[in-house]
Amino acid sequence: MTVADVLLIILWLALFIYTIFGGADFGAGMLELFAVGESGTRQETLIDESIGPVWESNHVWLIFLLVVFFTAFPPAFAAINVVLFIPLLLAVIGIVLRGSSFVFKTHGIIRRSRNVRILSRTFSVASAMTPFFLALAAAAIASGVIVIQNQSQVVTNTGSDWLTPFALTIGAMALTLCVTISAIYMTVEATSKGETELAEAFRRRGLIAGALTAALGLLGLILSPSEAPALWHGMLEKAIPLVVLTMLVGVAAAAALWFRRYVWARVLIVVEAAFLLLSWGVSQYPYIIPPDVTAASASSPLETQQFLLVGIIIALIIVVPSQWFLFYVFKLKKVTTGVDVADVEQKPAAE
Amino acid sequence: MSNLIAARIQMGNSLGFHIVFVVLAIGMPLMLCIAEGLGLWRKDPEWMLLARRWSKVVALIFIVGAVSGTVISFELGLLWPSYINFAGSIVGPLFAIEGIFFFVEAIFLGIYLYGWDRLSPRAHWICSFPIWISGIFAAFIIVTVNSWMNTPAGFQVQNGKLVGINSWQAIFNPSQPYEIMHMVLAAFVGIGFGVAMVYAIAILRGKRDGYHRKAMLLGLTVGLVSIPLQMLAGDAIARSLATQQPIKLASMEAVYNTSSHVPLHLMGIPNVPQQSWYTQGLVIPNGLSLLVGFSPDTTVVGLNSVPANDRPSDPLIVIIHLAFDLMVLFGTFMTLVAIVFWILFIVRKGRMPEFGWLLWGIILCGPMAFLAVECGWVVTEEGRQPWVIYNYLLTSDAVTVAPYLNFTFGVFTIIYIVMSIILIVLLVRQARTPMPKMEWAAVIAVNPAEESTVVAQES
Repeated sequence: MTVADVLLIILWLALFIYTIFGGADFGAGMLELFAVGESGTRQETLIDESIGPVWESNHVWLIFLLVVFFTAFPPAFAAINVVLFIPLLLAVIGIVLRGSSFVFKTHGIIRRSRNVRILSRTFSVASAMTPFFLALAAAAIASGVIVIQNQSQVVTNTGSDWLTPFALTIGAMALTLCVTISAIYMTVEATSKGETELAEAFRRRGLIAGALTAALGLLGLILSPSEAPALWHGMLEKAIPLVVLTMLVGVAAAAALWFRRYVWARVLIVVEAAFLLLSWGVSQYPYIIPPDVTAASASSPLETQQFLLVGIIIALIIVVPSQWFLFYVFKLKKVTTGVDVADVEQKPAAE
Repeated sequence: MSNLIAARIQMGNSLGFHIVFVVLAIGMPLMLCIAEGLGLWRKDPEWMLLARRWSKVVALIFIVGAVSGTVISFELGLLWPSYINFAGSIVGPLFAIEGIFFFVEAIFLGIYLYGWDRLSPRAHWICSFPIWISGIFAAFIIVTVNSWMNTPAGFQVQNGKLVGINSWQAIFNPSQPYEIMHMVLAAFVGIGFGVAMVYAIAILRGKRDGYHRKAMLLGLTVGLVSIPLQMLAGDAIARSLATQQPIKLASMEAVYNTSSHVPLHLMGIPNVPQQSWYTQGLVIPNGLSLLVGFSPDTTVVGLNSVPANDRPSDPLIVIIHLAFDLMVLFGTFMTLVAIVFWILFIVRKGRMPEFGWLLWGIILCGPMAFLAVECGWVVTEEGRQPWVIYNYLLTSDAVTVAPYLNFTFGVFTIIYIVMSIILIVLLVRQARTPMPKMEWAAVIAVNPAEESTVVAQES
């Protein structure tokens, strides 16, 4: 195994973590769009409370992905940035609008309910933009339609490579997957706060989004022989067992959600995301941009990759315990002092 | 607009916007840490309330900093793919290391902002340390990358391939210590005078109470301690340019021909095509020679020592010179205010001087501190042109071939403007929220994470 392979595995891990954490935050943003009905306001409050403390550090995984990618495989990164300039730019706009509208909404003093609604809608729409366009770009790369024979002849593609049925399907699937992950997490959050009614609402949303994810996944599979031949062949050769496992775990996650085993559903949806990303990664390996650019051909000098690897190891030693502490404080630790949840909710009424 | 110009303006906009929040995001957590520490130590409700109210401000500004920083990390690739291709192989790991500090910052900020009721007061206070410490480290790393672009080291180019990569040499490149010192101090000057400005305005409007005085004094202490050090650091970095980046120095003072006895032209406007001056400004004979080598006989390298297309274009030189002079002017004014304030403070035996003219001086220092940072970055970035990596990669070769750059530049400009307006409105509202009773219990009951939602639902 080369250093480049190790870095590929790290990139994959970062993508996985970003999907199950960052993806859930995007999903939560989209769920807010469907926070309707009697419990709508409470759904929105619970969503904001759950992602508030964690979403920013989850977002850093994307930065991490970006910088490790361009340090380990600079020519591939440069080429992708030129060819997929437009979808990537739209993903960035989503990031800006999502983060700022969320914080303005939750930390700003907004007096008019109309303005709160504008911020809330911006937050939801922006939460959809980023995963959609990132997945679209990834699908365009994976499908093998981007031809890079000479770095200097790379030009920006205005849509023929990434506005394909396959890329659009995968983009849409990313959206429903994020919503599914998020809805399942929210069922656990709601149950732990004794809000069974909210848990039911999130369960319904999770089931619908999960079904859509499965349907879009199948559609993607059907499209890939003609639309994404590189990926299809890679899958046939190396990843059939993984694809089967992905389907089985998906069914199991849906069953756990159906039978209200929310904690189990949470575990299973994480495993599901892992298998899904693993099927893709294994099918595409060793190509970074099939059919022309491999990990070996796009590697930065060995010295750089080694230095990067050492840096990443130090990073993980510092970041993993900190991240654990963050989740411990907000997701595991019982509130002992001062205000508890019931208090907070009565406050507005009391005043 | 050509792709190069459009990309440069867009990048300049993004960086100019982001740097304001960098200064705030490095400095504010330190202010929080000091205020909360003093509050807990002395059981002082005023310090505690400052920490609690500042934490809401930090939540707003930090996020604008984080998203604008994300934009930049994407723009590096989207606008300058060849730059990333070149630099990624050498200083790329630095960006990854910066990621560590960004992680730590984001994680502990989340804990700090939302954890008031979930942690013991002391544990909560301790969580403020990783925020500002990693903020300083992150700045350290990113400025290192910039210094490497100014004085590239740690690699060789053979037949168009990068060989002999030595990351340590790249990190500890010649201009690195100067740039880091200058930027970190700039952050403290900025936050110090920025905070002092806000409370000087309040005091000027009659809010002469302990709460506002404490806040202004803390800001001034940070600002007034760092500004003299900053002037020394600025002097050192300017001198280092004479050997490391002579053309940048020549552009800053529009020195056309290599010579000795070079004067300084304070606020003069150079006429570069004619190799002369429209207005000389305030001329200090032998000034630059003295600055560089402590002797009027010191030789200063001139612009004409390199071909015209190897140095900043003529209009850029005017901008560089004026930006440099403005920065120095602002720095001098802030130093003056610092000296006057401390003399009065000591003469009055620790009673805070609150004369109207002095408060106005402090108020002026706020925007000046931030403008000085912007000017400094204009000098260092424009002064390196036409290179993005000095003597190795031309900016015009680094730019993307992607279309519609005029359009994307417009979109991001609009986003920045809207974001700034909303942010300013929200910050002003934050400042106007009524104070709770200045008692320990009342202050502790103010929960920063929840108060805002309560207000939102009430109306």
